[in-house]
Amino acid sequence: MSKRIALIEDDPAIRENYTAALQRQGYTVLSFADRPSAESAFSQRLPDLAIIDIGLQNEIDGGFALCQQLRGLSKTLPIIFFTARDNDFDTICGLRMGADDYLTKDISLPHLIARIAALFRRSELLLTPEHQEDIVQQGKLRMDSNRMTVNWQEQPIELTVTEFWMLHAIAKYAGHVKSRQQLMDESRMVVDDTTITSHIKRIRKKFMQLDPEFDSIETVYGMGYRWKRSV
Amino acid sequence: MTFRIGIRLKLLFLSLFLFAIPWLGYQYVWELESYLRVGQEQTLVGTARAVATALHERPTLFNKQASYLTDVKPGTDLYAHQIIDPIQLDGRLQDWFDYRHLAVHYDAKYLLDDVANYRAEDLNFTHMIGIYGDYLYAYFEVHDDYIKMRPRNNLRIDLNDHLYIALTTPEGEFKRYIVANYQPGWLNTYELTDNLESNRPQKPEPRIQGHWRNHIPGRDNSGSGYNIEIRIPLNMLADNIAFAIVDVDENIDQGAPNNSALENQILRIGTANPNQPDSLGTLLVPSPEIEKIIKGLQYSGARIWVLDKHRRVMARSGDILQSTGMNTTLRDNTASDPQWWQNGWQYIEQEWLLPLYYKILTKPPSEFIDELQDAYALEGKDIESALTGKPDALWRLTPDNKAVILSATHPIWIDGTVMGAVVVEQTTHGIRTLRNKALEKLFNVILAVMFSGTIVLFLFASRMSFRIRNLRNQTEAAIDHNGKIIGNIPLSKTQDEIGDLSRTFHNVLGKLSQYHYYLENMASRLSHELRTPVAIVKSSMENLAMQPQSETSQAYVNRAQEGIARLSQILNKMSEASRLENALQSTDTETFNLHELLQGCLLGYQLAYPENHFDLQSDYPKATLKGSPDLFVQMLDKITANATEFSPKEETINFKLQQQANQLILRIINVGAPLPSDMQHQLFDSMVSVRKEAHSTAPHLGIGLYIAKIIAEYHQGKISIDNYSAKDGRASGVEVRIIFPIH
Repeated sequence: MSKRIALIEDDPAIRENYTAALQRQGYTVLSFADRPSAESAFSQRLPDLAIIDIGLQNEIDGGFALCQQLRGLSKTLPIIFFTARDNDFDTICGLRMGADDYLTKDISLPHLIARIAALFRRSELLLTPEHQEDIVQQGKLRMDSNRMTVNWQEQPIELTVTEFWMLHAIAKYAGHVKSRQQLMDESRMVVDDTTITSHIKRIRKKFMQLDPEFDSIETVYGMGYRWKRSV
Repeated sequence: MTFRIGIRLKLLFLSLFLFAIPWLGYQYVWELESYLRVGQEQTLVGTARAVATALHERPTLFNKQASYLTDVKPGTDLYAHQIIDPIQLDGRLQDWFDYRHLAVHYDAKYLLDDVANYRAEDLNFTHMIGIYGDYLYAYFEVHDDYIKMRPRNNLRIDLNDHLYIALTTPEGEFKRYIVANYQPGWLNTYELTDNLESNRPQKPEPRIQGHWRNHIPGRDNSGSGYNIEIRIPLNMLADNIAFAIVDVDENIDQGAPNNSALENQILRIGTANPNQPDSLGTLLVPSPEIEKIIKGLQYSGARIWVLDKHRRVMARSGDILQSTGMNTTLRDNTASDPQWWQNGWQYIEQEWLLPLYYKILTKPPSEFIDELQDAYALEGKDIESALTGKPDALWRLTPDNKAVILSATHPIWIDGTVMGAVVVEQTTHGIRTLRNKALEKLFNVILAVMFSGTIVLFLFASRMSFRIRNLRNQTEAAIDHNGKIIGNIPLSKTQDEIGDLSRTFHNVLGKLSQYHYYLENMASRLSHELRTPVAIVKSSMENLAMQPQSETSQAYVNRAQEGIARLSQILNKMSEASRLENALQSTDTETFNLHELLQGCLLGYQLAYPENHFDLQSDYPKATLKGSPDLFVQMLDKITANATEFSPKEETINFKLQQQANQLILRIINVGAPLPSDMQHQLFDSMVSVRKEAHSTAPHLGIGLYIAKIIAEYHQGKISIDNYSAKDGRASGVEVRIIFPIH
């Protein structure tokens, strides 16, 4: 039973290209050009993963509405925003809606496929026991790279795929500085420094909501970031 | 800064034209004055005519003799002047002092007999007559080198120095008198017998009174002589009279007894020969008849003269000082209880305004020299004209130039001949006072108008220039020195041209800032718009790449993918600035140590750019800034990336942190090629780059420094870039300077 991926994208060329690429990976792709058709389909049956463009034809924020509807239908359904809009505001909005990842359209297909695979893996492996080799343990931090779960002081923290990969890159070797370029490579995307900084800021915030004393992600000026060794 | 003439000054200058108003007013009042003068002239001529009307065809009013003479001989035809103050008969002449100029000097010209060896010091005298009350007064100031008084024992009264008087009585009789004194003192006057050949006294004449006083001569007998002061009742005489001073000197040579006239030298000088009734001179006494008629006219507000045809004054009335011609007393319109402001106004007017006005205006003088004060004969073109039968008027100045006197004349006709003239005189004081009053009021109004007009204009101009300056300042404040629009001017609600201008500026600035915004967001919108087609190409190429390809087409696919990757990179960079601006809005500030941050950065840069050296000189290790260290580092990254790119290998890039006053200055200096001079201020603008195309291994859009600027400004810093030359002049390069205020 192949995974069903819903692709909601108003530009036919992109829709066709991605549909073709995903199908080649063995996924079943349901493509929609607008919100009403997608919503009516979802009300019939949920996909296993949704890739949503925010601007849908004449609805500027149609994608957000669709995301909300999907989240209403399922808490665990992986949702990826896939958009030409790369500003902070839209990113934060999208992630607040409960999306699992927020990608700009210039991401390369292999990177997109890697993320989709990671998301599917996460939902699949949630129920299976952990493998020790996938576990990164740094003091109070515990990361499972396969299931993409993060725990701080035994409490789970929800991270997007991008954030997980970034944190993973930093926390894997505590005390080692990871430059922004390295973080970009690890999280499989091509962005600018501001975006990296924003991501780090969001990761810190998520930890601080749980533990206001959190200061393990250190900025090393002029070089990058590193995980503070727990003393 | 050159001197500017602002709107205020211009309007103030224009308001100088208000000064034309007083000139116009003055002209108008002047015109009015000339009309008034003409009016006064007419009135006065009318008055003269009226007075003359009362005198026409009344021959009795005129002296029978004097006025009918065809000509008069000065010194012989006497004129009795009107004396103002009473005369004290004491032989002293102070009483006459005021009239001295009217006296006639009698000398050789008036000798009654032919004398061969007359010398002036033998005998000459000064004489005048006047009228006071009912008396004719006269004085004789006689210069005589030898005074011979009447001997005590002598019955003869003519063998000594004496005064000989001859006159005709009102009854027409011819009478002769001699004044001969034994000694100085009260006069002894004798009436002579009717026998004209004899000088025998008939009886004393007590009615003719006076005083004889001898002079006190000097050592050389100079100033020898005597004064006689005398009065004759007017009812004794008609209008013929003669006075003679008879000087009797003893003939010392012969030493004969002094009892015979023959042995005496007799000198006679007189007004006329007193021995003949028909040789007497005329006496013109101002006619009491006419005086009476004219007396009634003394309330006419003019001085009136009646002249006979010899221009001698027969009567006069009125006072020229009071004859102002117009009643100028203003109505007393002050209320019974004046208001405080009336008092205040009066005070201001009296103390401030009037003194100012009367610097220009002249008050008619209450005192001026009246040359006709004691005139007994008048002259003037108008009188000439009247005596030929034509009424006339004349304006003349008083000798002291203080007053203008207007005189109007009218002939007096008797039997078709001109017997005299009426002269009516007034000063123009009335008109002048009237004019002054008018001008005072006019000046008050004008001053008020000018003052308020100037004030209003000034206020208006100030308001205008204030508004225009305000508009200028607002306009200047709306853009920064780079020409970037940083705000808009407030929308004016005023419905006038400046308001329109302000609104137009507002609209223009609004449109311009929209355009600026459009331009600034061009990059990010462009990148956003291009992202979709790039994504199409990219995904297509990737799809293509996933399929097995021939070797040649694989190469093409690879190239296309490289190109599209570069395009995608460009798009990323293009939207970087707007992403950063977005990020700034949601960035929390924290305080960080700048010194430590720089140290960390330099370590990182040393790793990142191993070909260059980095050196930090900071004399301020405690320097802190409030902001976002991450962003700050981003800014440093951009600047450093630029610096390393333009710096030759192995050269040091210097970071200097300095403190000046309350500013932190961060300088990043690299040795290398200087900047093109005209680009320095634009380098921080979006999409401006001075790189040569040879460098373009990676796309350069000139976004780097623009981003640096955005971050610097987020930290309240001012960033500038300039060419740098070391003090020793060896190295030159480029210096980026960021100045932060310390709070």
